[in-house]
Amino acid sequence: MLIMRHELLLIAITVILLIVEIFLPNTQKHKIILPAILLMAAVTVIGFFPGTPGVLFGGMFQSTQLTMMFKNILNIGVLIVFIQSVDWLKQDQNKEKISEFFLLMLATLIGMNYMISSGDFLMFYIGLELATIPVAALAAFERLKEKSAEAGVKLIFSSALSSGILLYGLSMIYGTTGTMYFADVAPLITGVPLQVLAFIFFFAGMAFKISLVPFHLWTADVYEGAPVNVTSYLSVISKGAAVFIFTIILYTVFSKIAVMWSDLIYVVTILTITVGNLFALRQQNLKRFLAFSSIAQAGFILLGVIGQSQLGMTTVIYFVLVYIFSNLGAFGVVGIISNRTGKENINDYDGLYRTNPNLSLVMMLALFSLAGIPPLAGFFGKFFLFTAAAKQGYYILVLIALINTIISLYYYLLVIKAMLLNNSDHPIAKIRSDNYTRLGLLICVAGMVIIGFTSSIYEMVFNLSFGLY
Amino acid sequence: MSAESLILFFIVGAFLVGFAIVFSIFVAPTSTNPQKAEPYECGIPTEGLTWLQFNVGYYLFAIIFLIFDVEAVFIFPWAVVMKEMGMIAFVEIVIFFFVLGLGLLYAWKKGALKWE
Amino acid sequence: MFTEYIFHFLSILSLFSAVMVLASKKPIHSVLFLTLAFFAIAGHYVLLNAQFLAVVHVIVYAGAIMVLFLFTVMLLNLNKDEQSQKPMWVKIMAVIAGGMLMLTLIGILRKYDIQSVQDPMTTQIGLVKNLGKILYNDYFVPFELSSVLFLTAMVGAVLLGKKEQI
Repeated sequence: MLIMRHELLLIAITVILLIVEIFLPNTQKHKIILPAILLMAAVTVIGFFPGTPGVLFGGMFQSTQLTMMFKNILNIGVLIVFIQSVDWLKQDQNKEKISEFFLLMLATLIGMNYMISSGDFLMFYIGLELATIPVAALAAFERLKEKSAEAGVKLIFSSALSSGILLYGLSMIYGTTGTMYFADVAPLITGVPLQVLAFIFFFAGMAFKISLVPFHLWTADVYEGAPVNVTSYLSVISKGAAVFIFTIILYTVFSKIAVMWSDLIYVVTILTITVGNLFALRQQNLKRFLAFSSIAQAGFILLGVIGQSQLGMTTVIYFVLVYIFSNLGAFGVVGIISNRTGKENINDYDGLYRTNPNLSLVMMLALFSLAGIPPLAGFFGKFFLFTAAAKQGYYILVLIALINTIISLYYYLLVIKAMLLNNSDHPIAKIRSDNYTRLGLLICVAGMVIIGFTSSIYEMVFNLSFGLY
Repeated sequence: MSAESLILFFIVGAFLVGFAIVFSIFVAPTSTNPQKAEPYECGIPTEGLTWLQFNVGYYLFAIIFLIFDVEAVFIFPWAVVMKEMGMIAFVEIVIFFFVLGLGLLYAWKKGALKWE
Repeated sequence: MFTEYIFHFLSILSLFSAVMVLASKKPIHSVLFLTLAFFAIAGHYVLLNAQFLAVVHVIVYAGAIMVLFLFTVMLLNLNKDEQSQKPMWVKIMAVIAGGMLMLTLIGILRKYDIQSVQDPMTTQIGLVKNLGKILYNDYFVPFELSSVLFLTAMVGAVLLGKKEQI
């Protein structure tokens, strides 16, 4: 029971919220917000108590210190998303669907937790589906808006296709090895052509979920159409969980054919970083802009994956942690402005500093952190990723990534310039944010600053990543 | 029972049905005229597209039906092994039912089962 | 042997109907051909001595999911002239890409010598009893997780499909 603590707690609060939702009259729906957030906060806190690592059901479910740590990271991220969404959920058109938002989010989180802890491809697959399907419903949450409905449809189609490809790959793995358990599959991976093809299908399926180039085409439309809070969830939590389990499977199950997949990832990394950055340069809509920047960030994460080592795993987790705070900070600001004024373009942000100094300060910190400016956590995240890749001798790759970092600095600065330096006749009026939004942004800023200054977190992750493969 | 006999059963079944249809074509008296090709033999000829759009409400019913259909699929193997496995299988299916029952209750309460 | 003939017949049938799903002009025809493809695949399951899976395939896919597809087709109000025409080069590219994938698959499968195949008639892994034992012992967690998946599917469907009360 204790081994599955995170998951059982989440299922418990999902069931509680569902029962409350069933018996809550229609006019009282907003009353569920505070209990939902408090329950999630409680689960997050309980998650930090030391737990017992172990294996359940003959290797079907495995919990290590590392997975527990990552589940805590995801819990924090979801908690921030919950807090940031309150302002949006209280709007008139959403007030009857408040609990559905929490329920679907929690369901995806349960799926991710099982996916992360899976020791079996079937379990992994069901977790992945549970982490994907409800997000499509969330993307179409404002279903009367055409763009939101379009985002939902595009997400469900592309994820169905990628799941199909992934499943085909898994079936080939089963066909060649006769088992689905990670531990049993790993020694039987010999690199025969069928297994290589299976790996490529698996890779393609996961690349869809992480939105790596050339599987990124759905990303910008979905991110733009979906409600901002769902977008931030998609770009941070979903992506982070998928990257984590992807790295683990690469390191454990496919470690024998590492020579083959590191070439593949080499190419995909260069493509992802470059294409993501070049497209981000020309975006006017901030949500699309952040979508492409998050594609580029996913490419940076691959730098850690390719350095197949303890260091690589550490840097991946560390970067995801930093990325959660930075990106959620940026999306939090975009979200509150979009909810209050409906403005999402970079031009609209002209002169934001005059009217909303606090919001633009948070935005500036978040963008600096995403770009990797030294005192903030984002810098260390990227720095460690580069170190991990360089240690494996991928110097050219690191060089390309560095050049791209400079490009990304340019477009992040464009937004900051709009906020701080540009003048506008009609700047966005002063926004009085409520306490929930403030709290959410405060947590993000604290995360960005504190993680940058405390090296102990990095060391802790490093120690937990030991002996993974 | 081997697979052959089952498939043979299907083939024979298909053959019998096909035979009945083909046989009736040859035996039955036929007469054709333009009126027979109309959608209604009596009444006014249709105008415009005959395609009519369905209500979204059907879709909700269909998808809830599908979910319980799949659920029923899981129950059948449970019923087969229940005797052998005893209490564990029973507890498993109770949890399964509990979660799905919550779903049904939710759909009910939301008025998804009501025809408007 | 008899089984072999049936296998070839079913394979040709499923491939043919799968192609026709894409090739037929009317969406209704596509859906009906898809049903045929599902039936052919169910036949394959029977050949592999997995009767339960075959029946489930017919009930769930050919029955329930096809109903959903038909609903969707009726819902969308598709007209013939609304079908988008792809430019020629896209079609050519698609043929090249698909052809390369096919060549790769054929090449790989020819090279892979399948030695570890067990006779499904002797192992009887596909029978309901064995399936149930595996499902309720080893795959207990995914099974319960699938119930959560159904629950969220239901919540999502109600969320998106329900009429807005204004």
